[in-house]
Amino acid sequence: MDETPKIRLVILGGGKGGTALLNLLGHLPAVEILGIADKNPAAPALSLARALGITVVDDVVHLIAKTETNLIVDVTGDPTIKAIITAHKSLGTEVLGGAASKLLWNIVQHDAQMQTKLFQTEKLASIGTFSSGIAHDINNPLYLIMGLAENLLDETDTTRRREQTNDILGAVKRIATICQNLTHYARQSTPFDTTNVELNGTLDEALTIAHYATTPKDLSIVKDYANNPVITAKPEEMLQVFVNLMTNAIHAMEGKGHLTLLSECQDGIVRVSIRDTGCGIPQESLEKIFDPFYTTKQPGKGTGLGLHSVKTIVNKNHGQLSVSSTVGQGSNFQMEFPSASPT
Amino acid sequence: MEKTAAMFGGNATEGCVLIVDDEPDVRKVIRMTLEKAGYQVIEAEDGEKAIEKINEGENPLILDVMITDIRMPKINGVEAIDYFQKEYPRVPLIVLTGFPDTELATSLLRKGIVDYLVKPVEGEKLKAAVAKGMERREIHHL
Repeated sequence: MDETPKIRLVILGGGKGGTALLNLLGHLPAVEILGIADKNPAAPALSLARALGITVVDDVVHLIAKTETNLIVDVTGDPTIKAIITAHKSLGTEVLGGAASKLLWNIVQHDAQMQTKLFQTEKLASIGTFSSGIAHDINNPLYLIMGLAENLLDETDTTRRREQTNDILGAVKRIATICQNLTHYARQSTPFDTTNVELNGTLDEALTIAHYATTPKDLSIVKDYANNPVITAKPEEMLQVFVNLMTNAIHAMEGKGHLTLLSECQDGIVRVSIRDTGCGIPQESLEKIFDPFYTTKQPGKGTGLGLHSVKTIVNKNHGQLSVSSTVGQGSNFQMEFPSASPT
Repeated sequence: MEKTAAMFGGNATEGCVLIVDDEPDVRKVIRMTLEKAGYQVIEAEDGEKAIEKINEGENPLILDVMITDIRMPKINGVEAIDYFQKEYPRVPLIVLTGFPDTELATSLLRKGIVDYLVKPVEGEKLKAAVAKGMERREIHHL
């Protein structure tokens, strides 16, 4: 006899409710999702389900009638579906619908909102640790602007005036780009809206942000990207994951060393690795690094929530996170996600 | 005292200033400001290059004042300052950094640097700091 009998459930409805249920229940070991159905073939949960390898059907009756189903969760919001369920479900199958499914939906929603808030807090706190790099990158062009403007006050040569004015404009644009990158990074994600995320672009964007954590010229960056690695996730969250792992890597190397960014697509799996040649993590700490509030950084330098958020976000997007590390040689953080691009 | 400055091909009148900063734009502005004020300017993009420049066979004594950034690749400003204070204790040092750090400023001023300036700095302030450095240099020459 199976000691931990699985709850085998089917989901009716591929809208926000269906998506949230897939996100919440999809990685619980005690739950097996046998299938999801929606009349609308473009319903958002259906593409997510396909990415997760969950059966997608438009024949609701067939799904309801499955004998191995323990539970039917109806999040269609369609009052006529109740009669269809009653008519076709097998005797032992329970139904969660109406107010009960609304209650579940509320709990899921609340949980997701709390999590989003936690991720956001972690992200904003981490921006504080970039302040020195950001100040450096803004004050340098500001100094150029000030110096050239001072000179322009009494510069009479027309060619030089034009040149220096152009330099000022270039410096202003550089500052604007920094602000743009930062506000993009600081943007809060919505609790539920996942979309297709192309990870090479996200890795590159994360690298721009992570550069604020160090003096970039001492780092050698190796990029080994697969063609078009796409997963279903929230872009803001994936950016946060990569920024976290890259800044950790850069800090572990004290700004000097090789940072390798790798993406691979194989058999419907997208794999991303972020590898450094830094100080490494001692074996006894490896189990603790994902615990909330575990940190080896000085007060004010780390929140202790970075890797915890990373792991939570990866798992929430149906990914697996693993780490290997050798003290004195470096660490490798590897993630695997179901691919969202057709193979 | 200025006779060795001519070795760099310049005919500086006010003195010779070495600027150490990884940003070409920053070096450009400092050069512009100081050359207008009559100084001769030498550039290095990081601490390592600065040390190389000085040990390049030229007599380090021609250097009157050094302006250095803090956050730089290879040898950073703090390391460079330690090195220069040990090797050339008579060359006055000015820090010009993009990041105001009170703790660092205090510790560097205690170590004897002339001034800790934060970018963006007005030309007048920079020139005043360099002039102060030149004064200290003069005292050493006496």
